[in-house]
Amino acid sequence: MNNIEEKVAGCFGSVFPGLGAEDLPQASEATVAAWDSVAQVTLLSAISEEFGLDFEFEDFERLVSYSLIVEYLESKLHHG
Amino acid sequence: MTLNKALALINSRKGKSGDAIYYLACGFEPLHLTTLLRAHLLERLPDDKNVEVQCGVYGDLRGNIESAARRAATACAVVLEWSDLDPRLGLRSSGGWSNEAKADLIANCIERYTHLEAAIVALAARMPVALAPPSLPLPPIGNTIRAQSSVLELELEQQLAAFLLRMARVSGVRVVERSRISSAAAALDARMELIAGFPYTVPFASALAASLVDVLCQPAPKKGLITDLDGTLWSGIAGEIGVDAVSWSQEHHTQTHGLYQQMLGHLASCGVLLAACSKNEMTTAEAALARKDLFLNAGSLFPVCANWGPKSASVGRILETWNIAADAVVFIDDSPMELDEVERAYPGVTCLAFPGKDPAAVWNLLGRLRDLFGKPELMEEDRLRQSSIRVSAQVREMAADGGSAEFLRTLEGTVTLAWQVDKADKRPLELINKTNQFNLNGLRMGESEWQRLLERNDTIVAVVSYQDKFGPLGKIAVLVGSQAGRKVKVSHWVMSCRAFSRRVEHHMLDSLFRHCDAEEIAFAFAKTEKNQPLREFFAAAGIRSSDDGAWRISRKDFLSSCGVLPHATPDEA
Repeated sequence: MNNIEEKVAGCFGSVFPGLGAEDLPQASEATVAAWDSVAQVTLLSAISEEFGLDFEFEDFERLVSYSLIVEYLESKLHHG
Repeated sequence: MTLNKALALINSRKGKSGDAIYYLACGFEPLHLTTLLRAHLLERLPDDKNVEVQCGVYGDLRGNIESAARRAATACAVVLEWSDLDPRLGLRSSGGWSNEAKADLIANCIERYTHLEAAIVALAARMPVALAPPSLPLPPIGNTIRAQSSVLELELEQQLAAFLLRMARVSGVRVVERSRISSAAAALDARMELIAGFPYTVPFASALAASLVDVLCQPAPKKGLITDLDGTLWSGIAGEIGVDAVSWSQEHHTQTHGLYQQMLGHLASCGVLLAACSKNEMTTAEAALARKDLFLNAGSLFPVCANWGPKSASVGRILETWNIAADAVVFIDDSPMELDEVERAYPGVTCLAFPGKDPAAVWNLLGRLRDLFGKPELMEEDRLRQSSIRVSAQVREMAADGGSAEFLRTLEGTVTLAWQVDKADKRPLELINKTNQFNLNGLRMGESEWQRLLERNDTIVAVVSYQDKFGPLGKIAVLVGSQAGRKVKVSHWVMSCRAFSRRVEHHMLDSLFRHCDAEEIAFAFAKTEKNQPLREFFAAAGIRSSDDGAWRISRKDFLSSCGVLPHATPDEA
């Protein structure tokens, strides 16, 4: 697990405390029952705070899984 | 507090029992404010407690306030924003900002304030309410540049100020101080408002949550302040330079002492007990305190202890005279050595240095005193406290001298028990929640729990007032219980320390037996660190623990032990 994944995992742990580390790679809006619109805003706000970046309106609709979020952050932080 | 820290704190309390319920009423999406409010509340609670924050629906502040009034919450935070008064004052509306719209907007706000006022007044009758005024900027609809206020903005601010003033006068409503929150961080997060309907930046939401918790969970106010004289109440050493040469004025560049005197005068008018403790000759202290230009009524300092012994000994005598616990007292002195000596002898006393040469530090000290002694609202009993403390000390002294029964009869006292409680009266609950020494079990109670208790058919409540030839003490005791047949069970019983040594407690039990036609009274007694006076009364009155652990006394045993009671008890309401 790299640094980005570790930090994202920490945010997932804060917002979805019942989610195990082994479930993270598959975690998405469809697989995590508690992942509703409020949780989505809370999760991205926690990640925004952790990484010091702002998400766009579309990001709130698009970043609906652990892997999409990690992929997005890697792209943004390494290439952006 | 960051959002991540708040989430971590909340997760660390998962599974802890004893949830206290708070309600957050706002018109926007509560989102992070709920999380941060909960986390700030958790910070104030013991580690094994949890908190639940309930919220209403988006866009209906008034409905949410009405909904809160139907809940069994401990307290409610009402967060008002401009868009709750008219959606056109927020970012998510497209209602237009034409001149016609502005006139309509002013009229609309007036109507909305009227509705909110009615809802908040009803809510405050059920539980304490922290009301946060709008923090977000108004939309840029003024005809002036931003550096110049427009008439529209000033009119909206005037309406708001008038509304907040009316609300601050409602018992149970606590208006959150506005500038303190808005200086903490920029309030508006326009992006989050448009994306999710949550208008605040996280740092601002945290500052707002902290202020709401400060206002809702106020620590018990201190009751007494003991002040040093030389170098503190005034500049200079009276015994050395003479009582006419000590000063506290702008003219002598010693205005910091004058400010301090004015602060003490203000505290005295709010019912705070004041005393002086000085290493001095008594005659010198008295002569200086007799100066007519003092900004403080010297009569409000009682007792004045001036001698050459350790200050801790004088503090001990003052605590005894006041009959209050050390942790309810603040001691102020300009000497670090004296502060240290008192602190070692009385670790509970809050010892503060008087930094007379540093105006900014004195200003901060005065602010700190406001926080230490401030309370949500003043009551009639606060006004009476200053005058009654001298008499109470005399009564205790004379009663202790052995002439108790005869002496008490000379007081021409009247003990009045009110069995019908005014639900809006905050004094009974204040007594339950701040009395330590004559306290049956130390159990505290929230406003909503109190209101529910009053609504029960089997509840018995007696609120006791006392007065004698020296004047009234006001409402000084409360007893709460329930009755089943000819047995009464007392769950709460408290009496102010100002009423000790007058046998008011005997009158209360006598009246309770008669009012309920009871054969037996059982008490939900529990020993606390501070309820020794109640335990002494139990021992003297013959109230003992039974085999089943309950503490009881029969009518027959009470009557045979209590003797003739000294005061009149007029027809009970």
